[in-house]
Amino acid sequence: MSRPRVIVSGMGVVSSIGGDVASFAEALRSGRSGVTRIAQPPVDIGALIENVDFAARLTPYPAHAAAARRLAGRAPFGAQAAIVAALEAWTQSGLQAGALAPEQIGLVVAGHNLTRAYQHAAHEVFARDPEYLSPRYALHYQDSDHLGLLSALIGVKGEGFICGAASASGAVGIIQASRLIRAGVVDACLAVGALVDLSPMEWQGFHNIGAMGGKRFRDAPQQACRPFDAAHEGFIYGQAAACLVLESQATAARRGAHALCEIAGGSIALHATASADPDADGAARAMTGALRDAGVAAHEIQYVNTHGTSSPLGDRTEIDALERVFGEAFPRVWLNSTKSLTGHTLTAAGALEAVATIVQMQGDFLHPNLNLVTPISARARFCGGEAIAAETRLAMSNSFGFGGINASVILRRGDHDV
Amino acid sequence: MPTEQIFALVKDAVLEALPHLAPEDVTIDKSLSDLGANSVDRMEVVILSMEKMSLKIPMMSFAGVNNLAGLVDVLKAHRA
Repeated sequence: MSRPRVIVSGMGVVSSIGGDVASFAEALRSGRSGVTRIAQPPVDIGALIENVDFAARLTPYPAHAAAARRLAGRAPFGAQAAIVAALEAWTQSGLQAGALAPEQIGLVVAGHNLTRAYQHAAHEVFARDPEYLSPRYALHYQDSDHLGLLSALIGVKGEGFICGAASASGAVGIIQASRLIRAGVVDACLAVGALVDLSPMEWQGFHNIGAMGGKRFRDAPQQACRPFDAAHEGFIYGQAAACLVLESQATAARRGAHALCEIAGGSIALHATASADPDADGAARAMTGALRDAGVAAHEIQYVNTHGTSSPLGDRTEIDALERVFGEAFPRVWLNSTKSLTGHTLTAAGALEAVATIVQMQGDFLHPNLNLVTPISARARFCGGEAIAAETRLAMSNSFGFGGINASVILRRGDHDV
Repeated sequence: MPTEQIFALVKDAVLEALPHLAPEDVTIDKSLSDLGANSVDRMEVVILSMEKMSLKIPMMSFAGVNNLAGLVDVLKAHRA
């Protein structure tokens, strides 16, 4: 008997370039960047979510809006973003109609150290008058608060946990959620790429470790994020939350649900380092592992949604790894980086970029790779400054994180009812 | 500080912790549980009320409180 297949039945996004999947897809197609000048030293450049009015963002979900406001009206901004993304995905999945028992639905929240800005603000109260620290602090400082809020709101009672893998978290979360379904632990599982809300201390830390860009292009923020361009100089922070509802193909077929895509496979590989450095061997092992898991040959992959953070070493290392994995097929594979439009959304990135990959498959296009003036590889087939028409059947999405964490996911087009 | 004035501050704290409530529903005879507050909401109302009055009262002082009138009484007793 072949193993259960895992499909995507719902998607949701809150990002700097779109507050839902439709507007996100349109921004990708038109190449609209969310990177702007912001008031956050020492970089002062980022891709922040604007208009963070929780109540307004809940209006498309009348069945859940009042409960969401009650549960999370005063929760940290990142948790509210996760709720909005999850409600969009949940509503699209059709599972809110009750086709599955709550015990058969899981919840994987991908990300960690999510509420640093909230903690930083609370510390101001604590330093002055510890007695006046909000009792909610004890709940909200913990990343697991996302599990509580989302499960209470949506009514999820199966397996659930926080899944942490630095900037690979989103991809690792999708892989773990898929495994829960394949193993028969649950029939459906929400995989949430959670927003990392940095405090001024993390901004300074990422700057001091040399990971953040925005120096040379200080006066031209929209040009600061330039994956695979010779003038790249580090990542630009972006905010997003994304959610995918994964489901066993059998369950989805039984209830007549539409498969937006199939999660064909995935793999995670460490490269045994405590540093921030990427590693071509580790990245290549994640990619080949994902291909093997999906039963797909490298030459069948038509498009790679790269990790592509605009970091000089990271971009070069990913190209090296792609050349190893794809061999002769390398010059034929389309490459772009969603981060050129959204900035680096850290632990949300893998989930956000899975959604980006799926909407490109659905819309038969590939989005631009902004600010690519002088490509670092002459052999690579990078997308340019405009979207192109492309029919993608099989795609790969890469995510790499500090601490030597490499993850790769294979997505198969899902145009037909399962 | 008169009871009415303290209750007005407590009411502000209740509405801050439980923003979905209608102000006219928050009356001094009600308990926080009557108003749908859970244990964290109740702690938050107590702490917000203390902060609004610039008081620091040991939590055990609130042990016997069973409605908003009782909360007002404890706050009043510590407001020398």
